Amino acid sequence: MRNGTFWALAIVVGIVLLVVTRLVTNEYFFFAGYVVLQYIVLSTAWNILGGYTGYTNFGTAAFFALGAYTAVVLHKTTTLPIPIMMVAGGVVSGIVGLGMGYLTLRLRGVFFAIATLAMAIVVQTFIVNWDYVGGSRGIYIIRPQQAPLTGSYIEYLYSIMLIMAVISVAIARTIERSRLGLGFAAIRDDELAAEAGGVPTLRLKLIATALSGALMGMAGAPLPYYVTYLDPASSFNLAYAVNSVAMPVIGGMTSWIGPVIGAVLLGTIQQLATVTISSALNLLIVGLLLILFVIIAPNGIVGLVRSRRRARSAAAVPAPQPATREAA
Amino acid sequence: MSALLEVNGLGKRFGGFVALEGINLAIERGDRLGLIGPNGSGKSTLVNCLTGTLRNESGSVVFDGKQLDGMVAHQRTRLGLARSFQLPKPFHTLNLVNNIRIPLLYTVNARPGTHLSEAEAETRCHELLGQVGLADKAMRLPRDLTQVEMRKMELARAVATQPRLLFADEAMAGLSPSEVEEILAVLFRLNEQGITIVLIEHIMRAVMSFSTRLVVLVAGQKIADGEPQEAIRNPQVERAYLGE
Repeated sequence: MRNGTFWALAIVVGIVLLVVTRLVTNEYFFFAGYVVLQYIVLSTAWNILGGYTGYTNFGTAAFFALGAYTAVVLHKTTTLPIPIMMVAGGVVSGIVGLGMGYLTLRLRGVFFAIATLAMAIVVQTFIVNWDYVGGSRGIYIIRPQQAPLTGSYIEYLYSIMLIMAVISVAIARTIERSRLGLGFAAIRDDELAAEAGGVPTLRLKLIATALSGALMGMAGAPLPYYVTYLDPASSFNLAYAVNSVAMPVIGGMTSWIGPVIGAVLLGTIQQLATVTISSALNLLIVGLLLILFVIIAPNGIVGLVRSRRRARSAAAVPAPQPATREAA
Repeated sequence: MSALLEVNGLGKRFGGFVALEGINLAIERGDRLGLIGPNGSGKSTLVNCLTGTLRNESGSVVFDGKQLDGMVAHQRTRLGLARSFQLPKPFHTLNLVNNIRIPLLYTVNARPGTHLSEAEAETRCHELLGQVGLADKAMRLPRDLTQVEMRKMELARAVATQPRLLFADEAMAGLSPSEVEEILAVLFRLNEQGITIVLIEHIMRAVMSFSTRLVVLVAGQKIADGEPQEAIRNPQVERAYLGE
């Protein structure tokens, strides 16, 4: 897809979603849609570090909740609008991401993943013991009586998250096609070879952790207004970490569209299951789908489609080399 | 003019194991230097210390008048030190063009005064692949390559950084005699273009035909350095390779 086409499509999808929602009378749609969009942001953010540079982060919940608690602090001290709070949440989570990266990026593979999980627990402990933001009791957030724009407050939150989703996908896609994205891919494939090719690996990894953390924090900032009651147990829920890993894995980690597909698919299934079966079933579905995909399509839906295409073009034009292993 | 690369008293330990000790070496511009030694003698460790993959504890390295100590690998690459790896390390999710594009964007374009446009970089990628006979596989992934092609890509990627000094770390290990000739031809051509080359190799026939100078490492120490025929007749070298 060309740049122009992408932007046109992104704007069209955004506008269509905004217009269609004006026709919806059931408020539940916004509640459910908000969650799916939030997961698009989270999984896209996760994929910048996890998919592009190959560092598995299990600390999504911490970055997300830090954004939410930044908003709580700002809610108690100021009357700033939510978009500003999102920027503030992004800055806080971005800085934490940078710090975490600096301390842990010497670790590779599973050790890095463990370190991020540990970091999430440290941050949660900090929040639990911080009385000002409610501590372990949690805190009630009273929404303003009227939404800044037309419609209900939940509609406003939904619109904000929709814009945020479009922005984060656009960022991911821009990176993917840039010099930075190529450098990330080099790090993912082989760090020593990347250094030998002149790639400043530490600097690039810090960019990835900071950016990934910042987007997660931005996604978290509106959460207090969405739930109206925020407590550490739910805001640091492991489900955020598990989902933001599972969605890119299922969708495909090498391309910006992968996390989007994964988030829409998994997010929608979870919302449907919550309404029709039971809310406890969510993670079971995620787990089963994850196992299924790791076995049958380790490169996700995007990988599955690509290998089909490769196989077909290889069959059409006899190549000097036999068909690739992927096609087999 | 001083030598291109000067190594003074370089030492490296892994815990209690002394991998390299008191290495002194001067590499002149245009040299074709063969670096040989039995397995575990410290050849690759030396290359790793010189290119910044490992940190040496003692000694100093001066490249073209610049002190390299404390510099990380990518900074040394940008100064003009390139290497190929003993086991090829391709970027396996990227096609060959993009494998070559990385050193172009991150090394050549990072040097002051040079900037390749997107189109120029693209052309250069194909040229470099053409030089090693991989032009028709430009859009393939590394896993579609044979061993010898993989080695060639590894060399092309190192050459893409426009180095002044290239370390070819066992670029021919496991190849058939005719494939060895192919790689040697590539290396000779690069040397003619003005790149100083250090060849680390076990295949003696290749080393002897390529090198203008031979350095022999045994157990982390340099025991011979000089004209190849003389160096291999050195009694210490004979002892290391053939026993008493």
